[in-house]
Amino acid sequence: MRDEMQENKLEGLHAKFRLELILESPALRRAEDILEEAGVSGWTVIPAKSGFDGRQRWSRGTDISAATDMIVLICVGDADIIPPVLPKLHSLLKRHIGVLNIMPVQVLRNAEF
Amino acid sequence: MLNTLLSPVVLFFALGALAALLRSPMSVPQSFAKGLAIYLMMAIGLKGGVEMSQTALSGQVLAVFGAAIILSFGLPLIAYAALRKTSGLSKVDAAATAGHYGSISIVTFVAAIEALRIAGLPSSGYLVAIAAIMETPAIITALWLAMRGRSKSSDEPALDRGELGREILLNASVVVLIGGLVIGMIAGKDGYENLAPFFTAPFQGILCLFMLDMGLNAGRGLRRGWKSLGVAPLAFGIYMPLIGAIIAAGIGTLLSLPPADVALLMVLCASASYIAVPAAMRLALPESDPSVYLTLSLGVTFPFNIAIGIPLYIACASWIAGAVA
Repeated sequence: MRDEMQENKLEGLHAKFRLELILESPALRRAEDILEEAGVSGWTVIPAKSGFDGRQRWSRGTDISAATDMIVLICVGDADIIPPVLPKLHSLLKRHIGVLNIMPVQVLRNAEF
Repeated sequence: MLNTLLSPVVLFFALGALAALLRSPMSVPQSFAKGLAIYLMMAIGLKGGVEMSQTALSGQVLAVFGAAIILSFGLPLIAYAALRKTSGLSKVDAAATAGHYGSISIVTFVAAIEALRIAGLPSSGYLVAIAAIMETPAIITALWLAMRGRSKSSDEPALDRGELGREILLNASVVVLIGGLVIGMIAGKDGYENLAPFFTAPFQGILCLFMLDMGLNAGRGLRRGWKSLGVAPLAFGIYMPLIGAIIAAGIGTLLSLPPADVALLMVLCASASYIAVPAAMRLALPESDPSVYLTLSLGVTFPFNIAIGIPLYIACASWIAGAVA
């Protein structure tokens, strides 16, 4: 099945880009503004539990400001929507803590994106 | 002093810190810990409001409000100068850290109220409002220190003042503290009586639970951060609270405040924020290094104040009151 998907042969599926942004929580609103301005039709945010940043391990804190929390933002969109937001997100990541990756994916319901 | 050190609040904090330093996997669930923080802030806000509803706003109280605002604006200037001269921190990191030391730690404040209760020294309710208003001015000073003379890079986005304003003025601790205070003033003593079983009797136990979590956070912060900080910044985390406390003691004595209020003003000036300021700094100065200011405020100054500072400030305030009388 994986081979079929990679070759885009699975019937009824549609090619999209999936963007995954791991970002410090205080900058979430800024990232969402960028996506909204670009016309991204939807995204999901989930909390990141713990990780390693190359220097030290981190884990989700318990303070009510959530200033040190990290989140994972996931969105899927067309080639004319996702790649153009990358320069602005790159600019955001020059100042805020986070990493970003995009990957080609296939979705079942094209109208949702 | 020994009574305070051996109180369950301090001992649970020590237990949490020790567990973290020994790499215990124990943790307090995040939502539960956040609920505890909101409960504690609601409780002291309400109690402060009820007390304020029974006392008139005097010239002395207004003078304390004025002094508190000036202190919150001014303490970061001292902290910044000390850090720049001694620590080798960058301008932005020094400014962000200085902001934490002009603002306050509400948990230290709550622990100090509890210590004063154990010592039989009742404090004034309006100091809760003082705590709330001291959260913010330091952030403005820190931003001014960091932005001063800095040229903006071309790809740096403009500062969203609305977003920052919301974070500074409407952060959780300010909303819950001020909200609780106003509700307490409206409800008065009669209205509070119905809530007392929820906010008075369980208060100490919940504070112990919260301090256990704070101990875990402080211990983990210190364990992760101390290696990256030099001796000078770590020393700053100890001497800066003492500088703030000495200044507050002078002002409190000049304003003829009772010893418990002097002690609380000392605690406010000696404590460093770990709620309002880190969030504001992540928005306004994201290039600053959070491991510097969080290690110092949460890993060094907070434990210092809980274990040594609070009993010391109470003893000093009592001694000053005795000497002046």
